[in-house]
Amino acid sequence: MVSPPLLVLEGVAKTFPNGTVALAHVDLALAPGKVHGLLGANGAGKSTLIKILAGALPASGGTIRWHGEPVRWRTPRDARRAGIATIYQHIPLVPTLSAFENIVLDETGWRRDRAEDRARVADIVASLGDPFALDALVADLPIGARQMVAIAQALASGAELVVMDEPTASLAGDERDTVHATIRRLAHEEGKAILFVSHFLDEIVALTDEVTVLRDGQVALNAATATLDEAAIAEAIAGRAVTAIERAPRKAGIPEPRLRVDNLASPGKLAPTSFTLHAGEIIGVAGTLGSGRSELLHAIFGADPDATGGVTLDGVPVGRFPDEAVAAGLALVPEDRAAQGYVPQFTLAENIALGHRGGLLINADAERAAAEAAIDRLAIKAPGPDALVTELSGGNAQKAVVAKWLTPATRVLLLDEPTAGIDIGARTDILRLVRALADEGLPAILVSSEFEELLAIADRILVMRDGRLVGKADPHTTSETDLTLMAGGTLRAPAGVAA
Amino acid sequence: MTTSHDWRRSFGLREAGVYYALLILLAVLAALASSRGLPPYLGAQNLGNIAYQASLVGIMGVAMTVMLITGAFDLSVASVAALAAAVLVGLAGSIGFVPAAIAALCTAAAIGLINGAIVQFVGINAFIVTLGTLTAVRGLVLILTGGRSLMVENPDVLAHMLAFESTRVPIFWAALVLAIVVAGIGIVRRRPVMVVAGMVIAALALLAGRQAAVAIPVLYLAGFTAIMWAILRFTVIGRRLYAVGGNAEAARLSGVNVHAYKLGAFVLSGVAAGFAGVLFGCRLGAINPTALQGTELTVIAAAILGGTSLFGGAGSVVKTVVGALLLFTLTNGFNVLNLGANYQGLIEGVVVVAAAAIYTVGGNRRRVRKAVADTAPDAPPVSEGAPA
Repeated sequence: MVSPPLLVLEGVAKTFPNGTVALAHVDLALAPGKVHGLLGANGAGKSTLIKILAGALPASGGTIRWHGEPVRWRTPRDARRAGIATIYQHIPLVPTLSAFENIVLDETGWRRDRAEDRARVADIVASLGDPFALDALVADLPIGARQMVAIAQALASGAELVVMDEPTASLAGDERDTVHATIRRLAHEEGKAILFVSHFLDEIVALTDEVTVLRDGQVALNAATATLDEAAIAEAIAGRAVTAIERAPRKAGIPEPRLRVDNLASPGKLAPTSFTLHAGEIIGVAGTLGSGRSELLHAIFGADPDATGGVTLDGVPVGRFPDEAVAAGLALVPEDRAAQGYVPQFTLAENIALGHRGGLLINADAERAAAEAAIDRLAIKAPGPDALVTELSGGNAQKAVVAKWLTPATRVLLLDEPTAGIDIGARTDILRLVRALADEGLPAILVSSEFEELLAIADRILVMRDGRLVGKADPHTTSETDLTLMAGGTLRAPAGVAA
Repeated sequence: MTTSHDWRRSFGLREAGVYYALLILLAVLAALASSRGLPPYLGAQNLGNIAYQASLVGIMGVAMTVMLITGAFDLSVASVAALAAAVLVGLAGSIGFVPAAIAALCTAAAIGLINGAIVQFVGINAFIVTLGTLTAVRGLVLILTGGRSLMVENPDVLAHMLAFESTRVPIFWAALVLAIVVAGIGIVRRRPVMVVAGMVIAALALLAGRQAAVAIPVLYLAGFTAIMWAILRFTVIGRRLYAVGGNAEAARLSGVNVHAYKLGAFVLSGVAAGFAGVLFGCRLGAINPTALQGTELTVIAAAILGGTSLFGGAGSVVKTVVGALLLFTLTNGFNVLNLGANYQGLIEGVVVVAAAAIYTVGGNRRRVRKAVADTAPDAPPVSEGAPA
């Protein structure tokens, strides 16, 4: 190695007071001028490791060396002062303050708007390519610009090591490119060390210089990125080779129509849209963030009060409120599980029973049994039906949200990014489940930013852009690149533009 | 997930603290009373008095708890109760007790509905809306009464009203039966809390003696609490009330009619306040326009003592009632022991803050159960997206 490592972890371990071993033994070396990728399934210990680096959690074993000196940070402030800035996945900015004030939030001193701070910050922001106006309120900025505010904040604090926890998880394609370019420049030109956490394998391969994969609290793989490909990384994450999802052969005969969407529209969000979903079919909806894909699902589900147009299920019109939609047999797995999917105070069993249709009295035994069945069927890793859903890792919480709708009364599944932010094992589990359910006759509309998922399990794909359907694609003949281009707007739909 | 864990949790400060506080307070006051040679503090007469004094706040507190569970807030309850009392007292002389009581309850329900509709459909924070109705409804009471005390003149109606409020009901045997039933269910269902609760009820009944009797508002409170407890505990309605407060968007997208549940909580709060007002009006057959002023804060304090979260999604009506009993035991203790009424407010305030501190510090997260060995690394107790 050319430069000595900035930060070295030797045998770092973390055991929680309740006996859970989050990190067993982790060695990690971060060098200046390098982007170091960190991957791992949900629950592999990434979050714990990040919190230890940020000083938010004490390690219970091992040594941390910073510039060669053993250190022990007691508070996030210690770590920050030493020169480590951590950018969390859910960017903790103050929405009611301007971008500038967020950036200088941890500055000391009395005056609120000092000229020298302003000049310094303006320089930093200029070096990032001026992605936002200094005085814009953070609440008004798009999510990609907020990410840049967080990066500017890290730079303004003089960080030598920037830890980024899935900085691109909620970004659309071009925003993602901007963040990538910025990260590369920070590492390769300014000599910062970057620890980059992501679930996106292509991103890791394209962006990083070195990769560490955690599995079960240990290092499963540590190598230079140039020597690896996506398959090797995926295998290290899962601990097994990822098998492709096998498709059942399409059943012969004309499928019966299940859900008809007729001129469904919502002012400013969704242009009039019509299509029919048949029994046993999965329609994939491809589109970038803001293309109207979530809005389409919400309009179908009656969760958009402004929506107009008709939705009929088995020939019967569906009411225009979510409770009527649920009663009719529609089921929505929303995009943001923490904000829209589960009730944090509830146990796994209670959350699964939340979509309960019928009866007035709670049948606790039946609910426990249903939860145990779901734990089995979806391979949810949980201590039992009485575990709080917030005690589960992201992928397992997502499975609980999906499990809520796995009842005979569900006639159509609407899935909005069901695999966002979850590891490859859980992702495969969920996709397999959706395909299996469809093969049993339960149709689904699947929205995903991961076009490979759509290509893997959908029967047909609708492409959305700017709130309207702009094309359709056959998953058997379309490549991921074509789909990306169609959704991104540079390639006309080969199958012609839908009405 | 062993039984020992459940024991530790069920009897921990967070889960059972309010019960301990009440029992300790009763024990201390009883010891002080006997050391000063006063009549037995835990006698039927005194325990009955405490329960009677707590009954109005208890009834409003139960509804307030439901309100807080759904994530909303109602500051207007005491004003609504005073308005209901004014409607009752004003009308009872001319149209009779029962029609006047119904009119009072309808008035209270209407104000609850107005509160709820403004909060839900205009989207103003419940704190602000009910702060406004607190003042406005009190103004309405002043208008209705012309600023003077009203009273019921008709002696028949007055007798009817007093009977509705002041009848004393013997409860010794009923309490014993209740104690046995509660303890029995506790043993069968392996719920240690219920066994202990049964024993405590039995002990209090035995202490109070064979001739124990309580005024009927106590039974109204007990009945209302039991019904709301059963709804929250055993029905889908109860689960959905918690879900609406815990995560309204998740509830909505799960097919719960969030507006209906939130409006329902406001109407319930209004009706409960109206009923408390009817009882208050019947107590004296009269109402003065400043009656019950400030009681809303006692009601909220009772709910907080009972561990209800102000952020919604958590709370227990039984514990709120115990919280109300705790507050009135404090008041009663100061009076009986002549401890200097000046200290009372200070002590009550400290108790409320201390209780909230215990709930916050001791109960931020539920005990994380030890995962079985092979799943342990997959479920670290770090909640997602919550940088510590």
